Amino acid sequence: MLIGQLHYETTPKYSFLQSLRNLGISKRIVELSLNSMHTIKGKIFKVSNEELASFFIEHMDSEDQLPTKDGMLSALIMPLRAIRDGTSIIGIDVSSIKIGVTDVGVIYAVRGAIVLKTNNHYRYIRLGPLPFHITKENIHEVFGELSRDLSLRFNFLSYIDPQIQLCNIMEKWLRAYVSHLARRSIILWDGSLTAGTPGNPVSDLSKMLRAARENSNVVMGISKETSLKFIRWGMTDLLNGYKPPYLFEIRPASFSHTGSLRLLGRIYVAKLAKRGCAFRLDIDKAIPRDEGIVAVEKLIGNETLYQGYPETLRLAHIYSTFTASDVIGIQRLLIKKYGLKLVAHNNMHRTLFGPYGARLGD
Amino acid sequence: MRLFKKTGNTMHILCFPDEEVEKGEYLLIRDERARKSMIVQVIDIEFANVPGVMEEILRSSGIEEFVEGEDNDPLDVASHILYIQDARLLICKVHGTIVNGELIPESSWLPSRTHSTIRKIPTESLVKLANIEGSLPIMIGETRDSFPLAIDARQLDGRLNIITGKKGTGKSHLSKILALGLVDYGATVVILDLNGEYTNLGYSLDGSKNKYHDKIHILSPGKTFKVTLYQTNLYVIMRTLVYALGLPGTSAREFRHIWKFLEKTGRLTLHNLGEAIQNWKCNQHVKDALYSRYSALVNSGFFTDNMAEATDFEKLLRRTERNGGGIIVIDLSDTSPSDRQMVVEYVLAKIQETLSQWKIRAVFLFAEEAHLYLKETYWDDIVTRMRHFGLFTTFITNQPNTIHENIYRQADNIFLLNFVNEHDLQIISRAARADAETITSIVRDLPPHHCLLLGKVVKDFPIIVKIKSLDVKTMGQTRFFFTEKERLVPDKITIHEGKDSNL
Repeated sequence: MLIGQLHYETTPKYSFLQSLRNLGISKRIVELSLNSMHTIKGKIFKVSNEELASFFIEHMDSEDQLPTKDGMLSALIMPLRAIRDGTSIIGIDVSSIKIGVTDVGVIYAVRGAIVLKTNNHYRYIRLGPLPFHITKENIHEVFGELSRDLSLRFNFLSYIDPQIQLCNIMEKWLRAYVSHLARRSIILWDGSLTAGTPGNPVSDLSKMLRAARENSNVVMGISKETSLKFIRWGMTDLLNGYKPPYLFEIRPASFSHTGSLRLLGRIYVAKLAKRGCAFRLDIDKAIPRDEGIVAVEKLIGNETLYQGYPETLRLAHIYSTFTASDVIGIQRLLIKKYGLKLVAHNNMHRTLFGPYGARLGD
Repeated sequence: MRLFKKTGNTMHILCFPDEEVEKGEYLLIRDERARKSMIVQVIDIEFANVPGVMEEILRSSGIEEFVEGEDNDPLDVASHILYIQDARLLICKVHGTIVNGELIPESSWLPSRTHSTIRKIPTESLVKLANIEGSLPIMIGETRDSFPLAIDARQLDGRLNIITGKKGTGKSHLSKILALGLVDYGATVVILDLNGEYTNLGYSLDGSKNKYHDKIHILSPGKTFKVTLYQTNLYVIMRTLVYALGLPGTSAREFRHIWKFLEKTGRLTLHNLGEAIQNWKCNQHVKDALYSRYSALVNSGFFTDNMAEATDFEKLLRRTERNGGGIIVIDLSDTSPSDRQMVVEYVLAKIQETLSQWKIRAVFLFAEEAHLYLKETYWDDIVTRMRHFGLFTTFITNQPNTIHENIYRQADNIFLLNFVNEHDLQIISRAARADAETITSIVRDLPPHHCLLLGKVVKDFPIIVKIKSLDVKTMGQTRFFFTEKERLVPDKITIHEGKDSNL
């Protein structure tokens, strides 16, 4: 197979991170965070330790649930060779968490991280944590302003958890800015390049991918877990017999399209390292197939892979994820700065039934 | 600081990074609604068990070395997170309650978690509250909050004391402070000085005579301390022979007969004693046993027939007390182990005799490494029986296992200097004057020359004090090898650039 060798110039060191800072991109989102927080002064603040524990259980990406038609899969195994040319790798991840409940709403915190690897050097920029007090009164205003400011077509959907929507909007915002500011880089997103799901319009994703392409970037989406199945076998487990690194392409014919779902990426199962795991890898479909494959070869040549997973994305995840002490720290800030009155959240079962209302271990 | 929990007499208090608290300090938990305050002492400081910290550290470990970056944290949440992560848990022991300004030994009540306020108590306030200084203060040193701490000499009177700590932490220095402090109030002090460390007590640091000079009497057995048999009554010599020289019972009976015979005939001299043993009609084995002990007495050089060179120890004790107190230092540094036991037996027996006849009121005995010259059977005697005669002992040792457990339990005051060895810490934690946790936790971290005072001298409020310096020549006469060598090596080599220089 002949793979066209594309020339990528190295992104000047940290230039896009510098631009990110210089543009003051966070100003408006910070303002929105602060404005939402002004509504909480002196309010009762309920914190539940039980709930807190459940926040740290990571939610699986629901957008990866793509149905495949048994027996209709046509696939290609593509062995890869590493290209070491100094291409910059950028990983983006965003996390959110519920901090507590007030008598009129819920306080969430969101934090995003961008990690850049260039010239064998990792550098990160982290935004947040930004607390948002979301109430019935301000929910549409907050989401409306956020999407307007970020030039995204984002509509608040009442049937989706505001926490997920807040996380999505922040993630989109970071992805959009990186797409605009980075040059000749490989941009790694956590998740797939599937659009058309609620709160994830095709137009927004297309716009971001276009912006990235215009700057000679290649966007790839990496999903840690995927429910793609081939003849009832998990796809990421199917290819254990092949010698990595390789890509296994899942052709569009394999999928039964449902409704508004649009695949903006070419979908692969990628096993990028010998001792690594296989992941679903989406590459911007508008980029020629060969170019996309070369980009993956540059990824494995210029990036450290931990269990087959790119280090930039792993670091972005680490830097954005909340720990319990983060949550306590944020709660302390809210109490100190906004005069919230902390009360322990009542366990209704325990209140009503005493020891008989508690689960084992409560 | 916030109250977290109470288990038994242990209180857990959350303390935040901007609050400076050290081990050994006292805190006052004031419950305004209950109108009571609880006094607790910090015995240990741990990191608060903040959830997620381990996860945070594990996540960031290894990353920080190769990742640089910055945080855009407009609300400065990071400072709050770090504040939480650096929170500490103070493990405290309850020491009493203040109600209406009065200190009472109550610890059964529970201050409110939400309404209580917690603050440090300055040592000065604690000292006043517990009336620690008393009317006869002996200045010991400075506490961590720079309060000059004095203990009441009365709290050493009639008491059993222990000074212990590892080598080089300042035990002898502290015992000198106590001994001189007692002398200031007219007490008679006898020091069994194993290493000749107290022989310069009468001199200032610059070598001149100090105010104690005339009150310090140095007795070196065999040199400036010799006794005649005439001054040594049968009770004293029998104790010496039996306890120090291990004379068996049958032989001791024969010795008693010989002694009485010589006493009766007015011929009680060392020379006559030797002749009498040789000529005494008794079993040859008994004779041999007696003669070997006699030879030991003679060879020690401690006994003499020359009245002019003999010391009347009893008279010295009486004179010391009459002259307003003083220190009699028995310098055992040049005395062999067997002779040492003999001398100590003599001294103790003489003191006991003098005390029991009410010729003097009391003697404060400072015994350094007593296990090296006291028979095991003697310890209880000193602690219990002789105490009632007016002999108040202070044991000084760097080997806490050489002091029996019952002595720790009976000790009224314990002065603890640093120990790190777990075995040593376990032994000293048997002291009844404080709980084991307080002792092991605080003593382990004591810096050199800092002492944890336990017992009646601090009214059972353990206090850490940095021992003051003394303007007396406190150093012993340790001979150093390297100090001699250093004198031979010039501090720095100076190169003269004059015309004579070859360089």
